[in-house]
Amino acid sequence: MNYKPGICNFCGTGCGHLLNVDNGEINGVFASRNHPVSKGRLCVRGWHIHELVRSDDRITAPKIRKNGKLESVSYDEAISYAVEKMKGIKKPSEELGFFASPRSSNEENYLLMKLARSVFKTNNISIESESGQRNSLDVLYKGTGMAGMLGSLDEISKAEFIFVVGTDITKQNPIVGSEIHMAARNGATVVTLCSRKSQIAKLSDMHLQCNAGSKKIVLAAMAKSLIENKLYDADFVQKNTEGFEGFANSLGSLSDSSVESLTGLSLDDINSVVKKLSQAKTAMAFFSSGISGLDADTISYIYNLFVVAGKIGKEGCGVNPIAGIANLQGSYDMGAAPDLLTGFQSVKDQDAVKKFNKAWGSDVPAENGKDVYELLAAKKLKGLVVVDHDEIIVRQGDALKALDFVIYFGAFNNPFTEYADVVIPIGTYVESDGTFTNTDRRVQLSVKKVEPIDGIQPGWKVYTMVADKAGAKWNYNAPAAVMAEIASVTPTYAGISYDKFKGIGGIQWPCNDKYPQGCKRLALDDVKGKVKFVPVTANFKGPEKNDEYPFLLMTGKAQHFWHQNNLMRRTFIPMREYNATLLLYPNGYIEISPADAKNIQVRDRWPVKVVSPHGSMKVTVKITDDVKSETAYVPYFIQNMVSEFLMEHKELLEQGEDAIIPVRIEKV
Amino acid sequence: MFLIKKNDVLKLAQELEKSYSVYGPVVEKESGQTFLAKVDNVTDIDLNAPIPSLPPKNILFPQIEKIIGYKYDQSSKNAEIKMLVVPEAKALFGIRSCDLAGVQCLDRFFMGQEFVDDVYLEHRKKTFIVANTCTAPFAQCFCACTDSGPSAKEGYDLNLTDLGDVYLVEAGSDKGKELCEKMGLEKSDNSHLDAKVKVVDKSLDLFEEKAVENKAWISRVMNRITTGFIKPEIWEYIGDQCFECGACSFVCPSCSCFNIEDFNKQNGTTERMREWDSCSYEGYTRMAGDHNPRKPIEDRRNKRFFCKLSYSQSQKYLRPGCVGCGRCAWVCPGDIGLPNVVTYVRREITEREINE
Repeated sequence: MNYKPGICNFCGTGCGHLLNVDNGEINGVFASRNHPVSKGRLCVRGWHIHELVRSDDRITAPKIRKNGKLESVSYDEAISYAVEKMKGIKKPSEELGFFASPRSSNEENYLLMKLARSVFKTNNISIESESGQRNSLDVLYKGTGMAGMLGSLDEISKAEFIFVVGTDITKQNPIVGSEIHMAARNGATVVTLCSRKSQIAKLSDMHLQCNAGSKKIVLAAMAKSLIENKLYDADFVQKNTEGFEGFANSLGSLSDSSVESLTGLSLDDINSVVKKLSQAKTAMAFFSSGISGLDADTISYIYNLFVVAGKIGKEGCGVNPIAGIANLQGSYDMGAAPDLLTGFQSVKDQDAVKKFNKAWGSDVPAENGKDVYELLAAKKLKGLVVVDHDEIIVRQGDALKALDFVIYFGAFNNPFTEYADVVIPIGTYVESDGTFTNTDRRVQLSVKKVEPIDGIQPGWKVYTMVADKAGAKWNYNAPAAVMAEIASVTPTYAGISYDKFKGIGGIQWPCNDKYPQGCKRLALDDVKGKVKFVPVTANFKGPEKNDEYPFLLMTGKAQHFWHQNNLMRRTFIPMREYNATLLLYPNGYIEISPADAKNIQVRDRWPVKVVSPHGSMKVTVKITDDVKSETAYVPYFIQNMVSEFLMEHKELLEQGEDAIIPVRIEKV
Repeated sequence: MFLIKKNDVLKLAQELEKSYSVYGPVVEKESGQTFLAKVDNVTDIDLNAPIPSLPPKNILFPQIEKIIGYKYDQSSKNAEIKMLVVPEAKALFGIRSCDLAGVQCLDRFFMGQEFVDDVYLEHRKKTFIVANTCTAPFAQCFCACTDSGPSAKEGYDLNLTDLGDVYLVEAGSDKGKELCEKMGLEKSDNSHLDAKVKVVDKSLDLFEEKAVENKAWISRVMNRITTGFIKPEIWEYIGDQCFECGACSFVCPSCSCFNIEDFNKQNGTTERMREWDSCSYEGYTRMAGDHNPRKPIEDRRNKRFFCKLSYSQSQKYLRPGCVGCGRCAWVCPGDIGLPNVVTYVRREITEREINE
């Protein structure tokens, strides 16, 4: 049989697929019909993953930079050199950093994390700044003790009410979008809160097209309406929660009149949505947790709204952040964060640390580490270990050049290698076994499909070789043995082992004695104490535009333009689709409404200058009904130009999807 | 016409194995899905398995395929070109009648018009086809609406029909007949043909009960799609639900669109690849100079159903482009598999008639 089951490795949906493997070559892909999430569907990216894994744009040998040039050496020589460099660091807590990849398998990320903490004595390990995902996990953990999606993707069909906040979900995680659409076709009420007319907004029963940057206010107004009209689930709140009064009080300062003016929505519309939410027996909320995800305050409002409505901890219910990258959830589960061990255990949790010290035979550093951006900003960093990246970090080129050394692990050739002193190749995800944890906590085994290219070792083995060279004796014979160790130190993964991965669909954590086959959703009786309302600010100021800067500029991703296209550019069809837009809009585009285009006196694809208080950029206009008048939208995929402009607004961008920049648009 | 004992039917595959690579329906154990897979052991073949996830298109016109390789030597200014397609002789054993109708559409597209596609021809001329009559429909089937089943009428070398204890083996070509004679199969008589008619009739009767997922009364819709007499709102309604994934084209037995890509390898050679393409993609119809005649998604969807259901397109295929396999409804993330589109269009026709 030349079709082999596996897991799609692009976004965090974790769809099932089968790869057509013939003579060691991957010649095609087909959707897995019995997969509980994807049920026979794939998106444009998933249908072309064979193009990516066929790419021969690979790092084919370990390399060391000699006289400014990377020269091929043996694994042993490259690893010895790398270990010598890392061992030479005097104060690893300040001078050494690890930058993990949200595409690596759980086993790889666990071992990298163990390498950083137990062998090289630093907690400085982080992943690409997916702040939205961390914000989501923090809020859900604070509220329920569960640092992951509270519901389950295979229960979307059981939700009577589905609330999509912000995300362009049919483009970013198409199969989750599809599942929502199918639920709507079967009678569920779908409401989208988004300033743009996204596809899911068009497919919704109701689109709350709020003013740019006012989602939080809409959410607060919904919660307020729910409480004031006594439509909330008082029984649930009384029995299962604490902190209700505090939350209710924080809504007090929001006046009805300001809601209408700040959000651009009528109270009637908001109230009718609230009524539907209250009448539904089951409800789910979805929001993107990626780089353009929401800020912690907005996520807290979504969470609190669903707690007050009594829509968590039941079948068909949940507050569900949607991860944009294959193993983003898994990376946090594996402790690829400066303050976290595996399973969201804190570096400050003495019991947890004791357990790790014992398991590893080595002490975990006591103090929280720093993420790579903090380390670069502190300017004390000397060495950086990077896995499989070429994204935003490349913008920090000057800071990277100033480092004593950069060690790069990865499968594909990558601009990042230009900064590297040592390059150590690892296999791709089809060349060894490994597990990946998708956005609904589903740990899935992806088995080896093809032999690695000549002499290349899988990541788990390479990290083991590094540890051995540094004097630690790690005796893993296979990824399954790494998972056994993960299970032994991670309560949420305690019951997971490779033996259990039979058939299709993986295991959703928590998996332990109580849930030997995993757990679909938050169980209220597992919550320590009561479910907590998460503290929110009562700051209801919307972004302000004025005569000088009359437009509110939103930022976001678009379907084929994905994480600077590190992966997409190794494919053919998705690459062509990317180029189609790039050819039409070679320098990116800014979406404005037809009315605004008339005012500015521009036609489609004419250039304009976008000016903010902090900077300006020249860009082409795309005229569309998708944005309201006096708002504009920029997809952030064009690295060289839009990003630089956006980087001038770093602090604003920390607000994620709701980051709004007031701008003026001038005809050039 | 011949007979073979039910228990012996795979002996046909064994005989074919001597001269062909045999592809047959095999169930992949972990996923439970059927694929038309190249078999190492003919006993893996399951003639009762549900229709395969992918049509035989994947074997005659692969998802991705190296066509030619070339290398340009700058110093000698010489280019070396070689053909990389070396198709093996293939026997498709036990394909369903809908899928055979799909192969016929591909034949007429790639070989039946002014330009003959050499690559497809290479694959096709070394192909032996054994069709298999469906004694009962599957849940997603609607071949009864598209005149492509439950038993094949033409295009096969052999056509199998399960008559209980024996399979009726109809030869549709000389090489089919020769194979049966070589194996010394027993000759059938008229009673077996009568029995086959009963099997087919019974299979058709079972549609009401078993083929519950899809219905597609395409004839009236063909008229409207051919004349373009369908409200734009209907196409917008359909277009809004399109996720632009391309899946419908990939799983369609008769979709033949492809893209050509010159893939520059690290070693300095280039491989010219051919791969499946889809009219649902914006880049598919974009022309040089950036003009795109079908930029809005509803225009692209409109095109797909014109291809499957218009009279003008049917003239090229000598049958409707849709063969009633139901796969597009399986894989669609929207809810716009062909049967649903037919329903939306029919609903609009009915509403219009009521209003008039």
